[in-house]
Amino acid sequence: MVVLMKRRAETGRSLILSGVLTCAIALPAPAQEATDRPEPDRVVEIVAERFLFTPSRITIEAGTTAELRLTSEDTDHGFLLVGPDDVDVDINIAIPKRNRGVASVFFAPTEPGDYRFECSRMCGAGHLYMSGVIRVTPTPSAPAGEGGSR
Amino acid sequence: MSVRPIGLLLAPLLLLAGTAQAQGQSTQNTSQTGPISGYMEMHYNRPIGDSITPPILDFHRFVLLVSHRFSDRIHFFGEIELEHSVVEGLEEKGELELEQAYIDFLVTPELNFRAGMMLAPMGIINERHEPPTFYGVERPFVDTFIIPTTWFDVGGGIHGTLGGKLRYRAYVMAPLDSVEFSAEEGLRGAAQNGSNAQVRHMAVTGRLEYVGLRGLTLGASFWRGDSSVTLVRLETPTSMIAADARYRRGRFEGRAQYAQGFIENAAELNDAVFRLTGVSPNVGSQISGYYLEGAYSVLPRDFPHELGLFVRYEDFDTQFRMDQGNVLLPQFDRDAWVIGANYWLDPDVVLKVDYSHVRSQSDIIAGPRSLNLGIGWWF
Repeated sequence: MVVLMKRRAETGRSLILSGVLTCAIALPAPAQEATDRPEPDRVVEIVAERFLFTPSRITIEAGTTAELRLTSEDTDHGFLLVGPDDVDVDINIAIPKRNRGVASVFFAPTEPGDYRFECSRMCGAGHLYMSGVIRVTPTPSAPAGEGGSR
Repeated sequence: MSVRPIGLLLAPLLLLAGTAQAQGQSTQNTSQTGPISGYMEMHYNRPIGDSITPPILDFHRFVLLVSHRFSDRIHFFGEIELEHSVVEGLEEKGELELEQAYIDFLVTPELNFRAGMMLAPMGIINERHEPPTFYGVERPFVDTFIIPTTWFDVGGGIHGTLGGKLRYRAYVMAPLDSVEFSAEEGLRGAAQNGSNAQVRHMAVTGRLEYVGLRGLTLGASFWRGDSSVTLVRLETPTSMIAADARYRRGRFEGRAQYAQGFIENAAELNDAVFRLTGVSPNVGSQISGYYLEGAYSVLPRDFPHELGLFVRYEDFDTQFRMDQGNVLLPQFDRDAWVIGANYWLDPDVVLKVDYSHVRSQSDIIAGPRSLNLGIGWWF
């Protein structure tokens, strides 16, 4: 799996690529240059606010490359993705506060299971309520997820 | 020449606003945080039509939050709050409170366990009270006199998400102490706050939330427990139910909340406290309140700051129902209009101004009116 992370100011057209991450369940492809981003099979828009992700339940198929685009309705949040017990995932990005841009990460799981995500940046009294699940179904033909569109 | 407190408050605020504007876009993405987070709020409350009560300048809350991840499945969260800036022994000053300190054991999205010092999951504000998140300098009256925010105590329970659209929490917590109930403030001050809490009986509390539509949150909460802590021989089962809604779409934001409390054997409680102290607390057998709030964001979307205008109507009665033989005092049947504005210099820094007019049913005791200014921030 290749994970790219970018943040962009809404007022500007150019992308600011802030990092390239790879993780243990990565596809054999080497880490790509930021300018060589994979074309996602699917884009999922996720909105963060105290103390909720919307949607908080997302379903995608294993083998799919999904771009997760995260925005905040209020303060800074974080997006930490935790894989099933036997799967390591290395995604932990900052979500800029309201009107400060979009955080984007590519997620291309190969292993089915429940990938739990949570806010990784303290955001208030209910911080630990802020979580969700990406359910990765085996390929092929799982029901379409609730959260994404292309 | 004397310098008025309002001038002292406004000067740094205007300076702060000017600095942020001058720096404009170049500062937009420079937010940083350290190992701890927190929020603070400072208030100026100026009575109107009252020549006796002085204006108050109060550093109301200084709150620090910390968290720690022991592993993917075990998390700690803590919140310490200093209210009114000073804590002195035996004096009516501020309060230093451990409002939250709990450990989460995460099992599945549907079922997780929590134990420690926790917030009672009642209403909107008790679990969501960072200053930039609500309109008005002070918290709503219903969230003060009916739901006694910040309501916290020791206990444990479960929480989780059902199908991605429903969230719940269900706890057992230390009960309230009925000897602290009052006619004016209802259940306020009755929580034991985890300080050698007596738990002969445990209270149960819970909340169910619908979060299936973006921008909409619907919640229903309850609390029930026997509050016979100090008065151990007098059973005083105490219940509260609450329903709330928050909705945001485009520039509009609306809130509504209703809460009602039930105190069984209130007449016997009043008699028992009278025998104990010589004064009957005149506690009602029911307390009740609701509020409706609407807000509208008025500045252009590309403006670096945000301005929201709001109006809130509240109705709250801490003697909504009285047992026979107790005295119904009309000054505790109140309603209030609060109108004002929030100005966000940053999504985490807000200047607030409002005018608050409380009215009571009493012909003798008028409700207070006040002009309130505040600044609050989150980091």
